Amino acid sequence: MIEVSGLSKRFGTVQALTDVSFKVEKGQIVGFLGANGAGKTTTMDIMCGCIGADAGSARIAGFDITETPLEAKRRLGYLPDVPPLHGEMRVEDFVTYSARLHKIPAARVKGRVDEALDRLSLTEVRRRLVGNLSKGYRQRVALAQAIVHDPEVLVLDEPTEGLDPNQIVQIRELIRSLAGQHTIILSSHILSEVQNTCDHIIIVHGGRVVQQGSYEELVQHMQSGRLYRLRVARDASRLAATLAAAGNLVGVRAADDDEQALEFGLTKDVGDEALDEVVRHTVDGGHGLRELAAKTKSLEEVFFQLTQ
Amino acid sequence: MNPVMTIAWRDIRSYFSSPKGAAIFFFFLGFMGFFFQNFVATFVEMTQRAPMFGGQAPTLEQLLRALFYNLHFILILIIPAVTMSSFSEERRNQTLRLLQTSPVTATQIVFGKFLASAAVLALVLACSAVYPLFIKAYGNPDVGVILTSYLGVFLLICAQVAFGLWVSSMTSNQFMAFLFTMFGLFLLLILNWIAPNLTGGGILESVVKYIASTDHLDVFFKGMLTVADVTYFLCFTVMFLFFTNVVLDSQRWR
Repeated sequence: MIEVSGLSKRFGTVQALTDVSFKVEKGQIVGFLGANGAGKTTTMDIMCGCIGADAGSARIAGFDITETPLEAKRRLGYLPDVPPLHGEMRVEDFVTYSARLHKIPAARVKGRVDEALDRLSLTEVRRRLVGNLSKGYRQRVALAQAIVHDPEVLVLDEPTEGLDPNQIVQIRELIRSLAGQHTIILSSHILSEVQNTCDHIIIVHGGRVVQQGSYEELVQHMQSGRLYRLRVARDASRLAATLAAAGNLVGVRAADDDEQALEFGLTKDVGDEALDEVVRHTVDGGHGLRELAAKTKSLEEVFFQLTQ
Repeated sequence: MNPVMTIAWRDIRSYFSSPKGAAIFFFFLGFMGFFFQNFVATFVEMTQRAPMFGGQAPTLEQLLRALFYNLHFILILIIPAVTMSSFSEERRNQTLRLLQTSPVTATQIVFGKFLASAAVLALVLACSAVYPLFIKAYGNPDVGVILTSYLGVFLLICAQVAFGLWVSSMTSNQFMAFLFTMFGLFLLLILNWIAPNLTGGGILESVVKYIASTDHLDVFFKGMLTVADVTYFLCFTVMFLFFTNVVLDSQRWR
């Protein structure tokens, strides 16, 4: 449904994207995961025809975005990172405007607008001015704009940004309810969101796709460099510095829940014998080994490891 | 609805759902009224004095022409105020992305924006007809001259709007768009007078003078309607709309 191949983009001296390729099957929800500045928005802008790529192509539902932009854009709903709202318009007028721009037949415009407003629980604010709404409402108006023409492909750039927890749950449910009939690609830097919502995850870092697959695949792939938890009796922070300097370990850091516990991973090419060294450092340094255990990985750790 | 009309209609409504539209009407008609009152007073005074000094009394056509020349000056301030937001504001608010990701072409966007600005100004112009109508009610002016003058001013507005859109399409800063449009239009107005200094005579001078809008407008104000001068304004309009289109289209490649 979405086919991106070999995208490269340079802004002046900054190489924003390098050879970004991925495919999204019909009906999937795909998470586009990356730190700030990883190239998520640039990729989405290119996919939607806002900016051009230096190399590579993007196809939406079989239509190339640069060669047949009208056909591609007709099948596309886009929620940019900054919601594209006209503050001086009423909510329903704005959504109607968007529906008309997307060439919905005049007779069906009203029905579509009502449906979109209803879906995003905007019916009670439909007569309000967009500019006077709170951030959460504005985000929903922008989302209504993206779904009003019932596009085959939905591109959502950080859809839950700036929403309160209740609204985040609402939007997530909405996104999941849209799956199946729509193909959705959403970007985020919030890992739990992607982990909960998406069938397929694409991790970008520094303008490149570093890993893609389902959550299970990603975690499995990373098992070669397992993650461990080490708890000691005293001076965990000093031990962390020693271990980080020793090499063979990646991502040495203090555990969130216990100040005398550390977490670390092994680099891919070393075996479990590196653990012996960890124990030796712990005992020799007089830290008092209390616990050493392998951890199952969360997406956060996969992400952490990939983007270090 | 056609996408051009959709875009134009939204923009027209946006002028009037903010104080901007009202402010434009207020200043334009206010200044026009002030000048009208002044000119009429001068006209009456001169008419009364003329027999005493044995001179010729001024004609109503002269009064009208003075009024239309003034219109040209006021437009230099009004046009940038109308066109500055058309692309700059959309770019600043990121709403341009909505248009860029909709199934509409750059040409449709440009025409929509052009229609909106031109329609608002045509409305302002229509309201200013109250002054010639006043003259018609109390005098006996040549209606033909008034009509050709209005056609001339309308064509001028189209050309100026096209220029303003082009400037606006290049910046996300409304103030810069205003400033550059205003000075560009001002230059176009005075080009006729500074042409000798710029070129030192010869064929170049006549070329520069041809580019200036004033001479072409004069023809309309005299009550004439020539293909050459209509073509001048149409070419001007089409050329800058084309430039705007190029700017908008090229942004996909930057």
